[in-house]
Amino acid sequence: MGHLIVTILVRILESMFVVGAIGSVVVLVLSGIEDLKLLFGMEEENHS
Amino acid sequence: MLTFISYWRAAAIVLNDLASSAFYACGIAEQAVGKSAPWFIVAVMLFSFAVRAVYVESCSMFVRGGVYRVVKEALGGTLAKLSVSALMFDYILTGPISGVSAGQYIVGLINETFITADIHGWIPRAVHNLYNGTPHFNVNLTSVVFALAVTIYYWWENTKGIQESSEKALRVMQITTVMVVILLAWSALTLFKSGYNPVPLPTPQNLHFSKESLGFLRHSFPEQSLAKMFGLLGIMIAFGHSVLAMSGEESLAQVNRELAHPKLKNLKKAAIVIAIYSFVFTGLSALLSVMLIPDAVRVPVYKDNLISGLAMYMWGPEILRLIFRGFVVVVGFLILSGAVNTAIIGSNGVLNRVSEDGVLADWFRFPHRKYGTSSRIINLVVALQVLTILASRGDVYVLGEAYAFGVIWSFTFNSLAMLVLRFKYKGVRGWKVPPNITIAGHELPIGLVSVFLVLLATALVNLATKSVATVAGVSFSVVFFVIFTASEHANRKKYALAKEQMKDHFQLLQSDTVERGSLGIRAGNVLVPVRDYNTLHHLRWVLEHTNLREQDVVVMTARVSQFGSAAYGLSTEQIFSDYEQTLFTRAVSIAESFGKKISLLVVPARDPWSAVAQTAHNLESSAVVAGLSSTTTSAEQAFALGSAWEAIPEPKQQFVLQIVRPDSTVDTFRIGPHTPTMKNEDVVLLHRLWLNVTREPGLENVHHHDVLTEALTRFARDFGAHAHDEIVKELRRHSADGPMPARRIADQIATVQPEPTRSDQDEGPYSPKE
Repeated sequence: MGHLIVTILVRILESMFVVGAIGSVVVLVLSGIEDLKLLFGMEEENHS
Repeated sequence: MLTFISYWRAAAIVLNDLASSAFYACGIAEQAVGKSAPWFIVAVMLFSFAVRAVYVESCSMFVRGGVYRVVKEALGGTLAKLSVSALMFDYILTGPISGVSAGQYIVGLINETFITADIHGWIPRAVHNLYNGTPHFNVNLTSVVFALAVTIYYWWENTKGIQESSEKALRVMQITTVMVVILLAWSALTLFKSGYNPVPLPTPQNLHFSKESLGFLRHSFPEQSLAKMFGLLGIMIAFGHSVLAMSGEESLAQVNRELAHPKLKNLKKAAIVIAIYSFVFTGLSALLSVMLIPDAVRVPVYKDNLISGLAMYMWGPEILRLIFRGFVVVVGFLILSGAVNTAIIGSNGVLNRVSEDGVLADWFRFPHRKYGTSSRIINLVVALQVLTILASRGDVYVLGEAYAFGVIWSFTFNSLAMLVLRFKYKGVRGWKVPPNITIAGHELPIGLVSVFLVLLATALVNLATKSVATVAGVSFSVVFFVIFTASEHANRKKYALAKEQMKDHFQLLQSDTVERGSLGIRAGNVLVPVRDYNTLHHLRWVLEHTNLREQDVVVMTARVSQFGSAAYGLSTEQIFSDYEQTLFTRAVSIAESFGKKISLLVVPARDPWSAVAQTAHNLESSAVVAGLSSTTTSAEQAFALGSAWEAIPEPKQQFVLQIVRPDSTVDTFRIGPHTPTMKNEDVVLLHRLWLNVTREPGLENVHHHDVLTEALTRFARDFGAHAHDEIVKELRRHSADGPMPARRIADQIATVQPEPTRSDQDEGPYSPKE
């Protein structure tokens, strides 16, 4: 029973990590593109 | 006076903290997870780009961002106190780990020099006998002594009140950059000439956890099977052991306040520089250390001074390698010592910030009798750092393990708070972490959620796998949380209102008169009178339109007092009331949001307009920019200022009064004698008269102004004699047909002449160059 709970908790953590890591790669790519635009003076201010 | 720094300097200050982790992060990670550690360091550095994005968004919302402010806004005071406790744990450990690590590099070099000297027979026999072999220092013990010395040195410097010198930080980073360039170029040559050891890929099979690196799990799972049992969990544990490589992001929020205009753009640029630099330095040096330093010596000999080891295994003559190692040690000493200083300054800043909010007893903020610094907070921070150094016994691994607790939990709290704020506060932001998807009118912050999930999962895993960090971090955080809560409770009783108002503390310089020279303000400045802290749109307008390289901005408020009340010396409270403190806090906050400096003045006077006129005169201001009064028209305001100007004794100079309306349209008036605005028909009449006059013989060379002079002379003569009543009657008749009542009032006074309202809102305050 204890092992099952641990396994479920670990799987939840792993899912959080994987989903978050994939999303973070998207953040990295999109903010990286913005960074390049800013560095090369092509940025439009993003006011939301 | 509020001053600001460029994004290069801001980046240098942050990198003094962030880049210093390159000197110890990979060594610690490899001891915990094995030879594939560099891949995790690289992954952490890439992930730090995303964490940086969260900090940029938080800084775009709060000029004085940082974990405490952001979490307080989003999640309330209790979690804010908890998060700032975790942050303090991070800051308290930054000093010891940096000091001890610097000691390890220095002692490592000294011992290696002894070995080389011994090989060449340069060590005297007596010294050799004394040590029973090659002379050497106990690495950990000497590192403790060194760390204590550096910490105590910076304790004294901070007690005296040294500023966080951005100039020094920039110099340190320039020297570090030279080292990084040599390191990378020489490593590339070495890879080409001597080949390299492959770095095992970061797969569960390649992870080799030590017993210590499993923390509480070591009692339940055999260390080498855990990664294989759970697969991805092993990756997460390894990632968690490497997060200390990105410590220092919080410093970005701390320096945001100091960034110059345009603040957001400069913040983003600083963040880019920081992220790229730390990725290249920390990430690549970690990979290179495993690729170039043989396995036999990397962990046993160089685990705590890995970059020194890298220098020693470059391709080329030994003497060059030793010289480069010496350079690495010098740079390590500079940047790691800088990090000790940054840790004290950062802790002091955070604790001052929370104490301003009533979360720490006022006793801590009591200024040093001689230097005026918050020495009690500095003493507390340094005492905790000294205890940590002694408790660590110079073990960098233990310090690093504990350090990660503060790093990961302060990041996690910050990202959670930003996530909550996305739903709680839907107002305008300077920038948002991408991507954001809108479905049925609801925005989903995909990017923020992603970063938060990685941080939370890692933080939770670390709780289980970093027993030292968990025990030490939780204990420390609980102690600090209790101190904060008790202090807040005591302060709440003491100051019922103080908790609602976060006011800045200003250093007051008293002077009998307002003098431009003593205030360091240039002639031609813009004077901005302020009264109501809810209507400071005119200050915003001035900061939007003023180029500070050409004009200074002086914000003044008039302290209206009755005649004779200032006959005796005034106390600070009398000169600078609570209201003025709040007013200036708002003004400074607006200036900070623009990243532009302002000077602040309180001028005691019987009448506010007299104070403004006299101050503009004394400061040789070219423009006075005021907000539109809710009770009078702009022309009436101009009339009042003009009257006050008339009362100033000669010689006096003219200036322009600009009244900014709430919709940012501006009414401009010239105060003092000036060329009047003439109607077109007046100009035509003058021209016709001039034509007629010049037709007369002998008057061909008469100018327009000669005609005007003659006409005005006759007018003055008639007005003072027989035609007085007739002229007055005629003027009244013209006046009744005038365009607007305000204009009539102003037209009656020769010195106040309203001019047409400017329609172009992009024009700024009047400059002498105009």
